[in-house]
Amino acid sequence: MYDSIIDPTLGPAADSERGPMVLAGRPENLSGLRLGLLANTKRNAEQFLDEVGKLLVDQHGVTTVLARKKPDITNTAPEPILDDLRAGCDIVVVGVGDCGSCSASAVADGIILEQSDIPAAVICTDAFTASADAMARVRGVPGYPYLAVPHPMANLTPEGVRDKATAAVPGIVAMLTGRAMAAAS
Amino acid sequence: MTTPADPPGQAADPAEQAKAVIEYCYDQGWTDGLPVVPATRSGVEAFLATTPRGADEIIGTAPHLGRSITVAQAAANAIMAGCQPEYFPLVLAAWDAVNLERSARGAWQSTSGPSPLIVVNGPARSRLGINCEGGVFGPGFRANATVARAIGLIVRNGYGIRPHELEQATQGLPGRWSVCLGENEEASPWEPLSVVGGVEPGVDAVSAVLIRTCEYVDNRGTDNPEAVLTDFADTLARMGAYLGGGHSSGGLVLGPEHAQLFGRYGYSRADVQQWLFEHAVRDRADLAAAGKGDGPVGDPAQAGTPFPMMPSAKDIPILVAGAANAAISMVFRPFGWAPWSGRSVPVAWSRALSGV
Repeated sequence: MYDSIIDPTLGPAADSERGPMVLAGRPENLSGLRLGLLANTKRNAEQFLDEVGKLLVDQHGVTTVLARKKPDITNTAPEPILDDLRAGCDIVVVGVGDCGSCSASAVADGIILEQSDIPAAVICTDAFTASADAMARVRGVPGYPYLAVPHPMANLTPEGVRDKATAAVPGIVAMLTGRAMAAAS
Repeated sequence: MTTPADPPGQAADPAEQAKAVIEYCYDQGWTDGLPVVPATRSGVEAFLATTPRGADEIIGTAPHLGRSITVAQAAANAIMAGCQPEYFPLVLAAWDAVNLERSARGAWQSTSGPSPLIVVNGPARSRLGINCEGGVFGPGFRANATVARAIGLIVRNGYGIRPHELEQATQGLPGRWSVCLGENEEASPWEPLSVVGGVEPGVDAVSAVLIRTCEYVDNRGTDNPEAVLTDFADTLARMGAYLGGGHSSGGLVLGPEHAQLFGRYGYSRADVQQWLFEHAVRDRADLAAAGKGDGPVGDPAQAGTPFPMMPSAKDIPILVAGAANAAISMVFRPFGWAPWSGRSVPVAWSRALSGV
């Protein structure tokens, strides 16, 4: 009807070239696997992931923990950090998406790791699911599952962080072993 | 487009057709909530003719979103915003100025919800009808309103960053995507902001800073410059604008009366900046009482000394705009911790428009 109207969302042709996405295969359980933690600079993100790491070692047989922190909340993790994780980890927990930019970029980090056949569990607070879902669509994986923990994270005490990590671990394990993935598909 | 309920002949009514086109653009999700002007190929060509830049030049990238923006795409969005073709070089310069801001990268998705404050200097102000005087923060002037709006539409449509999706502003701010003002150079005692930003005097240039809000300072009762500065310093030092991390941020759009008061008493722009840096301070205990006593505020070695709320004297941008009819000025709040880039962008006109 209005063929002469230019679509203002269309950028350079190269932008639309993105192939179909396949998520990483999932292990039966986490025993004997090497864990990666990809934190951002949001308050309590590292502390939360550290607690998750300890619990996965203690309760689920994870052998090693490689923790990395990306410097920028908006962009995906720089290649050297991703390379470290690809080389040293079998599974990665990414978080915490606790702001407009970082929730979206945490999902993008998770999807990038999945493309390298590394199962990822992305943690966002439940205030930012719209942003996380939008990034999943942008990245060509609509419905990409992540774990939404109750908002907020930034104002928690160390005990509060520990409690939140304890509550999140079953969901994280389910995402990494594929039970959540099956439920989402 | 006709339905059985339409009166005979309505579809042929150009006004009805125009309305249908506007509705079509809404349905595509292309608008910021207000009607847009449809962009057509001939319209884009008219816009491209105003700039020496190529249609396919990439002017912005968001690697995390896999999106880039071209000059032609910016033109389509500027048309939609209601720009005239000859505004387009300003839109491109404003876009470049915004992207000089270190904080711009994450700004559009941020809970802070910032918006550009765009400042135009040079003779283009009068040629394009850019308001520098009364009601300078708008609305009422096509160039001011549509250049600012174009930047918002480029972010929305070019990057696909839309509210309630990738855009996560908690509240945003009044006047988002609507603040573009001309500096009232003629009423200023000082050199144009663009000269501070490194551009030759008399050259059209655009400066931009991302802001989180503006707050007025109404002080018409004194002819004492230090009294007026005291009033500004109080607003600049407001605790709510401090996020932690070392300093708050602030700048001034001085009304001509305040600017000329400083000029009469021999204050340079740098003098005003220095005075404000030294006096926009808080008691560390006040910040601690507000739950903001961590980090540099709580440094034991500095206990008992006032905490400077501004990053430095030169990082308090100051410009002059508005009418010389009351002693009113505006404090604005730059977004994030990075101060203004300090760089203005010369406007690149096509040969036909540059007059050379």
